[in-house]
Amino acid sequence: MSGMAKLSAPPGFLQRAQFTFSAWPYVLLLIAAISLPFTGANDYWILLATRMAIYTILIMGLNLVVGFAGQLALGYVGLLTIGAYTSSVLVEKLGVGVFPALVIAAVAGGAFGALLSIPALRLRTFYFAMTTMGFATIVSQIVLAWQSITGGGNGIVGPVFPAPFDAANGFYLFCLVLAAICTWTTLNLSNSRHGRSLLAVRDVEVAAAANGVNKNVLFLKTFFFSGFLSGLAGALFATLQSYITPDAFTLDLSVLFFIAILIGGRGSIIGPLLATVLLTLLPEISAPLVTWAPFLYAILLLVIVLLIPGGIAALLDVERRKPLKTGRLIIPQPVYLPSVLDNPAGAESIAMKQVELRFGQIRALDGLDIDIKPGQVHGLIGPNGSGKTTTLNVICGFGTPQQGSLWIGDRQIPFGSPSTRVSLGIARTFQTPKVVGEATVLANVMLGGTTLGTATFMESLFGMPRHRKDEKSLREHALMALRVVGLEELAAVQAERLQHSELRFMEIARALVSRPRFLLLDEPAAGLSPAEIERLGDLVKEIGRHGTGVLIVEHHSDLVFRMSDQVTVLNLGRMLAAGSPAEIKVHPEVVSAYLGV
Amino acid sequence: MSQVIFFSIVATGLASGCIYALIGVTYNVMYSASRVMSFTAGQYGMVGGVVGALLIQNLSLPVWAGLLLTLVAGILLGIVTEIVGVRPVLKNLEQHLYVLSTLALALMIKQVAAVEWSTEPKPFPRVSGIDTGIWEEKYWLPVVALVVVIAGLELLNRYTLMGRAFLAISEDTFAARALGLPERNLRVTSFALAGAIGSLAGFAGGQMLLAYFDNGTMLTFYGFIPVALGGLGNNRGALVGGLALGIFQQAATFLVGGVFASVAVFLAFTFLLLARPEGLFGNSRKTRLV
Amino acid sequence: MKLTRRSFVQSASAMVAISSTGSKAFAQTTSIQIGFMGGLTGPNSSFGIQYLRGAQFAVDEIRGAGKAGPAVELVPRDTQGDPTKAVNAAQEMISRLKTNVILGPSGTGESLAIMGIMARAKMPNLNPTSADAIIDAAKYPNAFRVAGHIAQWDEAVRFYCTQILKSKSIAVIGDNGGFGTTAVTQTVAALKASGIQVAYQAQVDPNQPDLRPDLLRAREGGATAVIVWTSALGLATRMMNARAAINWDVPFVGHPGLGIGDILRLLDKPSNWENVYIVTNKSCCFDDAGKLPSRTEEFVQKLKRKNVQISDSTLWWIGCGHDSVELMTAAVKETGSTKAEALIKYWEALGAFPGISGDFKFSPKEHNGLPTAQLAMARANSQKNGCFTLAPGYS
Repeated sequence: MSGMAKLSAPPGFLQRAQFTFSAWPYVLLLIAAISLPFTGANDYWILLATRMAIYTILIMGLNLVVGFAGQLALGYVGLLTIGAYTSSVLVEKLGVGVFPALVIAAVAGGAFGALLSIPALRLRTFYFAMTTMGFATIVSQIVLAWQSITGGGNGIVGPVFPAPFDAANGFYLFCLVLAAICTWTTLNLSNSRHGRSLLAVRDVEVAAAANGVNKNVLFLKTFFFSGFLSGLAGALFATLQSYITPDAFTLDLSVLFFIAILIGGRGSIIGPLLATVLLTLLPEISAPLVTWAPFLYAILLLVIVLLIPGGIAALLDVERRKPLKTGRLIIPQPVYLPSVLDNPAGAESIAMKQVELRFGQIRALDGLDIDIKPGQVHGLIGPNGSGKTTTLNVICGFGTPQQGSLWIGDRQIPFGSPSTRVSLGIARTFQTPKVVGEATVLANVMLGGTTLGTATFMESLFGMPRHRKDEKSLREHALMALRVVGLEELAAVQAERLQHSELRFMEIARALVSRPRFLLLDEPAAGLSPAEIERLGDLVKEIGRHGTGVLIVEHHSDLVFRMSDQVTVLNLGRMLAAGSPAEIKVHPEVVSAYLGV
Repeated sequence: MSQVIFFSIVATGLASGCIYALIGVTYNVMYSASRVMSFTAGQYGMVGGVVGALLIQNLSLPVWAGLLLTLVAGILLGIVTEIVGVRPVLKNLEQHLYVLSTLALALMIKQVAAVEWSTEPKPFPRVSGIDTGIWEEKYWLPVVALVVVIAGLELLNRYTLMGRAFLAISEDTFAARALGLPERNLRVTSFALAGAIGSLAGFAGGQMLLAYFDNGTMLTFYGFIPVALGGLGNNRGALVGGLALGIFQQAATFLVGGVFASVAVFLAFTFLLLARPEGLFGNSRKTRLV
Repeated sequence: MKLTRRSFVQSASAMVAISSTGSKAFAQTTSIQIGFMGGLTGPNSSFGIQYLRGAQFAVDEIRGAGKAGPAVELVPRDTQGDPTKAVNAAQEMISRLKTNVILGPSGTGESLAIMGIMARAKMPNLNPTSADAIIDAAKYPNAFRVAGHIAQWDEAVRFYCTQILKSKSIAVIGDNGGFGTTAVTQTVAALKASGIQVAYQAQVDPNQPDLRPDLLRAREGGATAVIVWTSALGLATRMMNARAAINWDVPFVGHPGLGIGDILRLLDKPSNWENVYIVTNKSCCFDDAGKLPSRTEEFVQKLKRKNVQISDSTLWWIGCGHDSVELMTAAVKETGSTKAEALIKYWEALGAFPGISGDFKFSPKEHNGLPTAQLAMARANSQKNGCFTLAPGYS
């Protein structure tokens, strides 16, 4: 068996397939940045570099919200304003020390950032974008009006740091170190289950929920952290300007930050970093550019959106443009299943009892009973509109029936709340593959292990040991799952480059990663070649034999009969017949309603 | 509150409310044909004021010619929006790239106006002769414009084939396509129409808002509030929402002062939206599950 | 205001001159580098544009005269009124371009952000902005103001309202920008201290479309004069229109911005511009006989001969730019040096420097160069060649 040969190859293979992270651009940038003061550069360049560092801090945070979470936060200048004024007022009016004020300003930014997560969760894209613009305007209006504290239109003096941070070079290096730390934390986060979850929420929210991502909590933490960085940047900005007035915090600045991320490339860290450098330098290089700068930014944005959606990052990513081998075959290797599904088999079944689900007048499910037993492959077939996918959805927590109940063993589980299913041992695939196109296959599969990780958001940010342990074991585990479905050679490839059938198998791998007790497959054979369908059938049967209960919704009745231990036929939301494949094949009603002669 | 102050609030509130409502209608017309919300809506309004002033005041064209060419400018911008900002990104609607492309276009339009026209507010000429005492043109012109547009849209939708085609597209794109309706041409036409409506709003509101490049951003936001409150695609909701916003804004300005008035508007808007994300009159959109 | 081709070409040619000579250090007495920064495009750019116009004219004059002596280069930077860009530009002039003096900026926000930087670098600054706090001989020994400041304007305006118009109840309305905020607070405090009733005070958003509520409140408060502290064109005109709409013939007294030419087209009718008075530099005012001071008249003729645009301008802004350059070149000539210490010492010893926008006088303790006596009130709608007619009862 070819699998045997592969078994002996792991170490080098693992390295190749690892989510390759190229550190050299960051290191180069850092070296260039640190050496700037020592090249005898005059204070003007140091000033510009300091500004770049400060903008970087904010943009790294904003990147998580805009680039990773896909939320179009156009009004982040509001958080910059809050940070700047908080630190200035604390130091100037309340005599607080500069460093404590810095931290408090960051926390204030975080608090308001977290507040913004509420509209992000409740509102649609465009509405959220508008709300953030409104937020930025509210902040600037309040700053203008609250004269006694903020000095109103006349502004307030910015905090001054003690030596050596009050000199140009000293302050620059201070901001640089902070910028480097912030970049490092966002890098860590992007390589953690939190970062992967953000991307999943952005691109395939339904799949994120099905893999256990709790959007509310994730957003709260992400928005807080993002706001924290913005507040920090604001406080540093106030010091850089030495005196802040409301007219420095324009909506144009907000749009600039936003565009930097889009031009840099969503979901990338190095891209927005380079874009920040570029956009800060641009107006300084040539005077006529100052007048037309906003126009140029807009054109850049348009070009990126229309032609290079991946931004600068996509241009830099040579790796991902390397051609793939054609004529690839998917050869699953079920022999590796034990290493993936290494949890003891359960004895409980999923039971759906008397479930009724109506959409208006239509009864999608009309009093349905169905069981999924462990170690059994249960096929679900029926004509279009019979409620097959709806059944699967209800079990997975999508859709709330008006009547009936859902059980695992003798525990009743509530309808709805899809993100709890994975912890209950229920995993699924989708009718159309739901993957994060720009992430690698491996990263996509690792999404399945979201609930397996234990490292907290904070631990991931700072690359704590638990985070690194999580990542290492999850990577190996996911690779093993890819081996099972026969896709390990494509682990480092961007998912959007895969063929349709490969995506289907990848989804199965993703589901397997969560060590599910129950695997629900929604038309997994659609679009597969006959050879692939056969291999799929063998794989599913093996999965069943390992103790996982499988529910497979399919149109390919031959496939279903071949691999199932139990078959249920639905019609008009009701069970038409249930039994062994042999029984169903010849069942008169089934034949007339569905199978035909 | 004296009678004069009350009248001032009502007159100014209604007039500005009509302008906001018209921009709301602009949003709706673009949305109905494409499911896209475009950031350019407010900029059409700004262009209406700026181009109108340029043609009638600076170039001394007669009023009817100025109005006509202003509408043409709006139409052209609408078409450009569709071709450059909407058509290329329609295939990835869930990615919401249209927000970015239309934002880019809006920024470009704004910057061109800033550099070529001026960054200071400039006067907008009187266009009708009718202007005595309380019946100042700046108070009734926006109202007339709104009535004309709403009536026109109703007639269009009810009695013309094109109007019914618009309705079909907005109800169910796939079915409309299956029926053989020329989806793309209809979309371009509706964006052209939106551009015209937007620039008409700016033209009618020129006396009140002045020919000012920054009006675009303000109208983009304030014209969006009626849509958010009235429900996306719902022109009657936009009308009610716009007028309510106008009056609320003026009342707040009077009661608590200009600065706090805008804070009041934004806060009220945010809370209302969080409470009813589909708007007060809108229907909740059902998303396809899987 | 629009970036005209002329000003663009001027700044471009200055830029070319600068870039062609690079950032080499200049021999101290062979060339004078004058940096200018301010808003040339963007909101509220009319002051910056006119100031630069005057400065450029002065530089052209010097070059044209072909006198022996150091060459003068003017290096402009457009900050668009943004304090962020102002900080960048200031640092650039200090460290990279190494100018000998900085003229400007044109806005209070920008000034506030750069005073510290310039002081630390000991960069001489001739500053026309009006915030009181930016000039402090002890804190910013390098900075000298070449125009009036808020305390002076406030004094002049209050004097006119209380002593000439004999008003005992005054309303104070300003915009919510930096200038408006400070000015309103200052005026209200001073009025109250001198026992005058403040009928109404407000900080208004410049985009507020209807000013009738505010004026009605002022009228209800019993105001017999209204002090207007805004340069925002839209706001000023709306106030004048609102005043006419409620049939209130109260005098408006305030910021020079109330005299900008564009106002005429924004008004409902020209008569709405009556009874509006602005504080301005006396040197650029027509007296009762309709004559300008001779120095100013000469300046106007010179500008006209060179086709420099002055209709629809505020002459003292242009004059101020001219005076700033003159102050600089005179200092270099008299001290034979472009070093900061020498320049500062020269200016501090100036008794009465004859400028177009006024006669400047500095001292080691006083870096505000325009004596209050050189301010006057003028009729806002009387602009001709950038000059205004003195207000009635004012000499």
